[in-house]
Amino acid sequence: MLIMGEVRTGLLQNSAEIEERDHQTVLGLLAGERVRMSRRPIVYAVSPDLLTGVDCRLPSASNARIRGVGTLVSRATITGGRILQGSSYVRVVRGEVNHRLPWSHYLARPGVVEVLGKVSAPDLAGGFLAFGPPGEQLDLGSVSDRFMDVVQESALLDLRAPFRSDRTRLRWVAETGEPGVHFILGESTGRTLRLTHHGEFSPAVVDLCEDLALHDWLLTALLTIVQRARIGGASRPEVSARLAPAVDTLLHLWMPGARIHPSLAPLWENLERTPGFSRQWQSLVERVRDQLAVNTLALLRETNG
Amino acid sequence: MLVFAISDKGGTGRSVTSSNIVYRRALQGQDVCYLDFDFGSPTVGAIFRVSTASRGTTRGGMHRYLQGEITEPSRIDVWTESDRDTIRAKPAGAGQMVLLPGDQGGGEFATFDAEMLKRCVRLFAKLHEQFDLIMVDLSAGRSFAAHLALAATAQLPKIPARWLVFHRWTRQHIIAANGLVKGEHGLLDVGREYGHDPGALTDRIRFVRTAVLELGSGDFAHLRPAQRSWLNEIDRELRELATRNGVGLTTMLGKVPLDPVLQWREQLISDEDVAGTEIANAETVFAFDDLAKKIVDDTAWEGL
Amino acid sequence: MTSFSEVTAERQIKSGPLSHVSVELGHLYMEDFQAGPDRLRQQFAMVAPWLETVRRSWQNRTPGGRARISTCFLIDDYFSRFSTPDELVPMILDAAAENDLVIDYLARESACAEADGVKLAKLVEDRLVPDPPPGTHSWRPPPHETGWLANGTRSPVAGAGQAMKPQIRWEPPTQNAKRGHSIFVDVELWNDDNRGRTWSCPFLAAVWQLLRLGLLRNEGRLPVQPVQVDGGFPRDWDELPPVVKLNKSATPFSAYTTMSVLSTRFLQVELAVRTILSQVSVDEEVLKQVLSRSTDEDLRLEEELVDRISYVFL
Repeated sequence: MLIMGEVRTGLLQNSAEIEERDHQTVLGLLAGERVRMSRRPIVYAVSPDLLTGVDCRLPSASNARIRGVGTLVSRATITGGRILQGSSYVRVVRGEVNHRLPWSHYLARPGVVEVLGKVSAPDLAGGFLAFGPPGEQLDLGSVSDRFMDVVQESALLDLRAPFRSDRTRLRWVAETGEPGVHFILGESTGRTLRLTHHGEFSPAVVDLCEDLALHDWLLTALLTIVQRARIGGASRPEVSARLAPAVDTLLHLWMPGARIHPSLAPLWENLERTPGFSRQWQSLVERVRDQLAVNTLALLRETNG
Repeated sequence: MLVFAISDKGGTGRSVTSSNIVYRRALQGQDVCYLDFDFGSPTVGAIFRVSTASRGTTRGGMHRYLQGEITEPSRIDVWTESDRDTIRAKPAGAGQMVLLPGDQGGGEFATFDAEMLKRCVRLFAKLHEQFDLIMVDLSAGRSFAAHLALAATAQLPKIPARWLVFHRWTRQHIIAANGLVKGEHGLLDVGREYGHDPGALTDRIRFVRTAVLELGSGDFAHLRPAQRSWLNEIDRELRELATRNGVGLTTMLGKVPLDPVLQWREQLISDEDVAGTEIANAETVFAFDDLAKKIVDDTAWEGL
Repeated sequence: MTSFSEVTAERQIKSGPLSHVSVELGHLYMEDFQAGPDRLRQQFAMVAPWLETVRRSWQNRTPGGRARISTCFLIDDYFSRFSTPDELVPMILDAAAENDLVIDYLARESACAEADGVKLAKLVEDRLVPDPPPGTHSWRPPPHETGWLANGTRSPVAGAGQAMKPQIRWEPPTQNAKRGHSIFVDVELWNDDNRGRTWSCPFLAAVWQLLRLGLLRNEGRLPVQPVQVDGGFPRDWDELPPVVKLNKSATPFSAYTTMSVLSTRFLQVELAVRTILSQVSVDEEVLKQVLSRSTDEDLRLEEELVDRISYVFL
């Protein structure tokens, strides 16, 4: 009846982009399963799906006590050898009985949480997207976060990332209906997304949410770098040095909608109109490039003059 | 970078100095965080003037995180949550300044287990992703907090870690500071137990003298000649003692002058406190600023 | 679904042939061997009528009575090594033949840890999804960090408590799926020492059940293929294939269901095996393959894994 998920996005803790052949080691979180990769238009690798069992209260806007039992599906992805995402989601359905069944029952339904008792989808979605304080409720985000940690712990990474950055968290809910999408940028690192799509839920919806989270993180990271560069406030070489990681690491990673199923493409186009991700990105990129160009010219003048 | 602040005795000004170092580093444009590992007395919120955490947080802090009760310890953005207006006015170009407080009513740990160590390692690794400087304020003396820090850093060889040992300029403090590092069950001893190379660990330890009276300064103008010569004699003895104890100038990262403000109230010293209200001394801020730079300056940490 | 147009992006899962039931005629441990061939003969004499019962019941369930039944026998070469294959295998086969039993497949217990370079035990360990006690709202330390797997909540232990806090008081453990009262089971999956990791007997037995159910895959491929050996067994256990096919006309080693005829001393081990198996997540694709095959054969399989496993304890 309702799908909800949380994507966390951050920078892979390595000084350089990781090599293609290293993805299997870094993302091989399940013995006997290969990491899937695609190389066009950008190197993208995804770990095998991982399950986590839960039995807890579900979020509720009305603070109702709703108990759910089942498993979450999680996976970790690396884009461009640079950006790491941990993503978890769950399909919430009404259980057939009001008591907990043997665990094997839930294991036979991976990615499904069954509600014991009554539940309303809007109440659940409202509670989930509210980003309440962490507590006894289902915590998809920390599961996503945990799998990111596992990846970052890989012995292959040198932990010398080109710049410090915060992980962003995107919570999303998806339902079947007339296609629509609503994205809200929170004050801190939290973002929410409500989307409705035609037909049954498919993992393509998760791909869309991950792609959106990825580009939102890119934009956030670039904005932070530009703000910190203190253009106009600091000296030219300082500004250039502070902008350099953005050019080295981020600018070439912008490819919105590259892996999105065609049926969901219109939703991305909606987001491009409002809030207009690519517009903001373009103007930031131009600002960075202009600054670097101006600073280089100034430097040349100084050395020549 | 992980920086551990430790002292053998209480009352050295460890917390207030390390808090000010963090504050100065943030003003210098770095992203910093401050972890309260003084488990028996989680009161660092008071220094940052964050009233919601002046005696530890009620929203899930370091104690509950390390014990596995919560998945993430709560964070406080000092720039927005401090009660002091001068702190809330975040200057342009300043970095993040985040406090990770202990739990209200939290106590010193009696021991730590493998799970707790894993959680500690994970927390350090995750903070390293986000912050340039991670200041960890440890309980005074030989504590489980120090054990935990040594065990965790042994598992994170790729993350640079440095240790600051705070002591006052007295006979007892100098001997105690040396004992904390080199004595039985001291940092080197325990570090070796967890797999640290004693030589490498020694290179990562520096001393910070606190509440120092500068004999040449104007503060001493009013002293009688007998007092002045006595103080000079004592200072010479202390310097000798310090050198014998490996706490001399070569291993000293910096010193913080005695400042009346810090004697009566442990607080962040803003530029306003010096230039505006003039309640604090410029030398104090200079010392903090200097320490904040030296902490990350590799030349100050070259092998001895 | 992400439309991967490249080969490495696709997931391919092989399927293998299946019998209706895989009957385990016994386990052989050091102490059985030490008791001499008579003990083995007695054991097979007790097993024979049960195999007949299984055969009849499956013949009644299958169209035309064409039930595919394979038999197997497991020898411990993991916890202790005794005798040699060229001495032991003929002795087992003789004892079976005296009771008109045919052993189709012979397996080495160490194959459940690692076979043909595939670390099967690790494969299964990674697929454990622990039964969450009520209140589990997030990630918990997985069994591969602790080495233990339970069916409920353990008693709290006084560990890293804080100073001046009340002492932790004893509380009973509870089973998650209890009916009124708990039967709490906590299984040790492995232990590590300076010689490396030793998997526990119940854990290897759980891998053994999954192998017999044909539910394991390594990178999409079937991990252990029985190898036919016609007489002439090696002198070294390591030279014996993990699973040996002894009977040329045997039906497939793996089956929709398993039946194990065992001594009652294995009761506890098998309780532990069921505790483990009820927390193993088997690849959905593999489960679907098995299901669609059984449906094609007009066979109704139990939905839950543990219900496809049965025992006779003697």
